[in-house]
Amino acid sequence: MARSRNHEEWTKPPPFTQDEYVDSRIYSDEDIFEEELDKIFKKAWIPVCHESEMPNAYDFRTVTIAREPIVMTRGKDMKVRAFLNVCPHRGNMIERRPSGSFLEGSPSGNPRHMTCMFHAWQFDMKGRCVYISRQEEGYQDRLKKQQVGLRELKCEVYFGGFVWVCLDDNTPFETVEQWSAGSLECLKPSLDEEPLEVFHYHKAIIPCNYKLWHDTNCEFYHDYLHYHNRITGFNDSYFARKNMGFDNGHINVGSFEVNYDNYEGFDSRAAISFPHLPPNHWYMIDMFPGVNFNLRGSSLRCDLMTPLGPDKVMIEFRGLGLKSDDEATRQSRIEHHNSIWGPFGRNLHEDLLAVTGQGASMHPRAERRQILHGRHENETIHDENGMRHFYEEWGRWMDRLPADPDQPFLEGDNIKKAAVAAAT
Amino acid sequence: MSWKTVCSTDEVGEHSIKLFDVDGVSILVANVGDGFRAYPPVCPHMEEPLIESGICANGQLTCTKHLWQWDMRTGEPKGPAEKCMLLYEVKAENGQVLVNLEQELEYDFDEDDDDDY
Repeated sequence: MARSRNHEEWTKPPPFTQDEYVDSRIYSDEDIFEEELDKIFKKAWIPVCHESEMPNAYDFRTVTIAREPIVMTRGKDMKVRAFLNVCPHRGNMIERRPSGSFLEGSPSGNPRHMTCMFHAWQFDMKGRCVYISRQEEGYQDRLKKQQVGLRELKCEVYFGGFVWVCLDDNTPFETVEQWSAGSLECLKPSLDEEPLEVFHYHKAIIPCNYKLWHDTNCEFYHDYLHYHNRITGFNDSYFARKNMGFDNGHINVGSFEVNYDNYEGFDSRAAISFPHLPPNHWYMIDMFPGVNFNLRGSSLRCDLMTPLGPDKVMIEFRGLGLKSDDEATRQSRIEHHNSIWGPFGRNLHEDLLAVTGQGASMHPRAERRQILHGRHENETIHDENGMRHFYEEWGRWMDRLPADPDQPFLEGDNIKKAAVAAAT
Repeated sequence: MSWKTVCSTDEVGEHSIKLFDVDGVSILVANVGDGFRAYPPVCPHMEEPLIESGICANGQLTCTKHLWQWDMRTGEPKGPAEKCMLLYEVKAENGQVLVNLEQELEYDFDEDDDDDY
């Protein structure tokens, strides 16, 4: 007979193999979190912004990856470059604004340059040091400008104009295409046909681990959270959508045709669906370690997760349409985006409520517990193979077993063998 | 020759500078006491707008960003300045200051030159 459990029973492993659950400390432990910044976020390609956020020569954006301050510039040659936003002189952060233009000079600097406010060293859009104040007086001929350029980072504009940065010069993934391992192909024709433009941006700082948000994007079993999904969205083709894994921990959620006529107050998106996308189709791409691309017919959403602590994540939400949109088309895309995904839309706040509740139970130093992802449903969207695929990759990068992070990682088949050995 | 009227002679006070726009070209006009001079509007060092950073004293113009200085009459560099100021031909006639705008004068900032250290 089913009954509740005491502490000993509660803490026992579930009747699953070790790839079907994780130890909750991977969502809350401070040491594991710091290790993730070093072993994962400082090594992965991250789409930090979109090129339409810096459309003109001398525009810039600043972001962080794994707490490292980064500045992206657009040069006179219109090329986007990324640098550590750190002065080589005294380690001060050079640019403090989130975005803007270097076209006009700052109080201590000149037009078309980045200037460190501290001692007025200046750098051009290619990261070259072009001015050291009282250089000869202080450094004589001992320090030359070419010895103190900014630290340039690997940077690529790829996949519909997203700006990707990688902190690791020695990454085995020379290009974003290699890093994506085929996971972007399902949407690439739709995003690369013509220039895109960000029309919506907001960010949320949520008290939960970044992976919990990524999980909500990877599993659709939580349709039960979304009242409207249940009463309007389900049909056989919905449940037949496939979850597909790609190398490097990325996944796709396969498309189906959404019948927006079933959604009260919603219109078909067929007329302004993205190029090459079958009308009203809906693809999702979840990239390791914390990026989501979500195209619902007419409107593209991108979530970028920046982990701030074991139980704190900043999520930046972007909505994108075609740069060529006329005013009415753009307005429709914005409505389509906001009605589901805006901060006051139909689904987004429900997802945020769920992960906030998880965060409350998985705070740092919380007792370890098991978090299950053991559903097998023919790799369709209520299967949890997407999360299993993610955590296998996570274990590989961290050399920790997600189900027992004090143990080293075991490749998939070995997990099952170990589970059998433990049981016998 | 393409002489253009920039301003009247009483618009620029003695030993001071003022910025004018002539057919979309920015011209910095200086009154040097017994005459006028006209320069491109930016410092030849790092493009600083001289109308904001420039100070006139003792016949010299100083860009306060990095203290480059010039003789206002000749444009010759003084102190740490490494480049001359460019001067337009200028004349005062019938209470008007005229500048020969045959060609807009611009400094070469070598932005894309990789060997400019």
